[in-house]
Amino acid sequence: MSAEQDEAAAAEWLVREDRGLTVEEQGELEAWLSQSSLNRVAYLRLKAVWQRADRLAALKSPLPARPRGHIWNLPAAAAIAAALILVAGTGWFFFQQRLPAGRDYATGIGERQAVRLADGTQIELNTNTRLHAEVTKMRRIVTLETGEAYFDVVHDAERPFTVNAGNRRITDLGTKFSVFRKDDDVRVVVKEGRVRVEQIGQPLASPLVAQEGREVISKGSETLLTSKPDHEISNDLSWRRGVLVFNQQTLAEVAEQFNRYNRRHIEVAGSARDIRIGGSFKADNVDVFVTLLHRGFGLSVDQQGDRILVSH
Amino acid sequence: MGEQPIDDWFMREVLPLEPMLTRFLQRNWRNEAEISDLRQEAYARVYEAALRERPQMVKPFLFQITRNLMIDRLRRQSVVSLESVADFDWMNVSDDRPSSEAYVSARQELRLLQIALDSLPPRCRQVVVMRKVEGLSQKDVAKAMGITVETVENQVAKGMRLLAQALDGRRAQVTGQARRYDFFKRSRDVR
Repeated sequence: MSAEQDEAAAAEWLVREDRGLTVEEQGELEAWLSQSSLNRVAYLRLKAVWQRADRLAALKSPLPARPRGHIWNLPAAAAIAAALILVAGTGWFFFQQRLPAGRDYATGIGERQAVRLADGTQIELNTNTRLHAEVTKMRRIVTLETGEAYFDVVHDAERPFTVNAGNRRITDLGTKFSVFRKDDDVRVVVKEGRVRVEQIGQPLASPLVAQEGREVISKGSETLLTSKPDHEISNDLSWRRGVLVFNQQTLAEVAEQFNRYNRRHIEVAGSARDIRIGGSFKADNVDVFVTLLHRGFGLSVDQQGDRILVSH
Repeated sequence: MGEQPIDDWFMREVLPLEPMLTRFLQRNWRNEAEISDLRQEAYARVYEAALRERPQMVKPFLFQITRNLMIDRLRRQSVVSLESVADFDWMNVSDDRPSSEAYVSARQELRLLQIALDSLPPRCRQVVVMRKVEGLSQKDVAKAMGITVETVENQVAKGMRLLAQALDGRRAQVTGQARRYDFFKRSRDVR
C-alpha cells in the first residue's frame, strides 16, 4: 500500500465519522486502525488537519481591519456619546450621521486578506493594498486607494455595488471581477457576469460595459477594452492562490510583478531585461526564482541586502 | 481505545513538525514522488516506538528515525550514492528548540488555513466552506447546494486530503519545478 492509498482510505473513514458512525462501523474503524500503524498515522494526520480546519469558522464574521487610528478615537467617541445621552433623541440621529460609515482594510507587502462584507460580498485583497468599504441600506461603495482586489459580489438590484479606483467607477452588474490600481493606472478583469466602467466626473462620456472574459485597461482619460481567453483570465487572478503565472513576459516585467510581493527587490540590468519568461511561481519565493534564473539562463545573481541584482 | 493517549500525543507533538520534516525530505531525497511514502513510514515508526516508550525529545527522535529510514532505503537500492547520504543536512535539526514554524500564532494559523482553502478547486472549496466556515452538517451542505450526500462526502474527503497537502510545508514541487525549468529552456530557445 502506498501513502496515497492509505490516505484515501483514511479520508473515507473520517468522512463517515464526520457524518456519524454506527456501532458496527466504529468496530470496523478500530479494526482498520489496528491493522497497521501506516493506517493509523494516515488517519491521525488527516484528522489533525480536519480539526485544524475548524478554525476557519473565524472567517464567518468579517475579519477585523487594521486599525488605522485616525478615523475615530475612543475617548472622543465616549465623550460625544456621553454628551449625546444628555441630549438624547434627535441627538442620536446626528451622531449616527456623523459616524464614519464603513471600514478600512489593508494588507502589507506579500500579504493577502479575505473580507466578507455585511451584504455577503467577498473581497480578497492582494499584496500592498488599501481600500475602504461602505455598506449601507442605500448603497455599497468600495474605494480602492491602491493595490489590487478581487470582488465576488452578491447582486442586489436595489443597492448597486460600485468600486471607485482613481478616476474610474466600476459598477457591478452581477459578477466577479478584479480591480488593480496604481496611481492613475486602473485595470479591471471580469471573470464572470458584467461590469460597467465609467470615468468619474465625465457624465457625458458613454460608459463602457465589459463582459466576462474582458479586461479594461485605463490610464488618465484613455480606455482600452480587450478580450482574454479563460486561461489568461485565470493567470491574471492566480495571485488569489499566492502564485504568479507568466506567459512569455519580459524579465523586466516579471521582476516588477515579484517586487509587488516582496521587500527584497529584483533589479534586472541590461539585455537580461528582455529575456522572455514563462511558468508559474510562488509569489513570495524570490529565492527559488532567482536560482532558476541562474541555472536556466546562466544569469549572475548578486544579493545586496534588500536588492537582488540580476544581469548577464 | 487503548491508544488514545498516544494518538493525542502524536497529533499534538509530532504532526506540527510536518512542514519541517517535509522540507528536510525534499532537500535530501531526490525522488519527490517517494516523499509522502517516506514521511508516512517515518510517522509509523515513531508511532510504534512511542507505544513502547514515548521519546523525551520529539524532534530529534523524528529526524533520527527519518534519517535511518532514508539510509535503509538507499542501501536497498541497487546503486548506493554515497553523495546522497553525505548530503543530508544533519546540522539543521539536531537541537530540540521548538521551531518557530511548528508553533504559529492563531493569526498566522488562520492565514495558512485560508491560503490552503483558497487552493482547493471551486466546488470542493464551497463544500469545505459550508462545512467548516458556516458549520453546516454534511447533510445540510447537500441540501443547501442541491447535491447528493455522496457528492458532499466525496468532496469532503478530497477537501481534507488537499488541505493536508497544502499545509504540509512543501516548497514548489519538483514536478512543477521541472516543468518550469522546461519553460525556461524553451523561452531561451525562442530568443
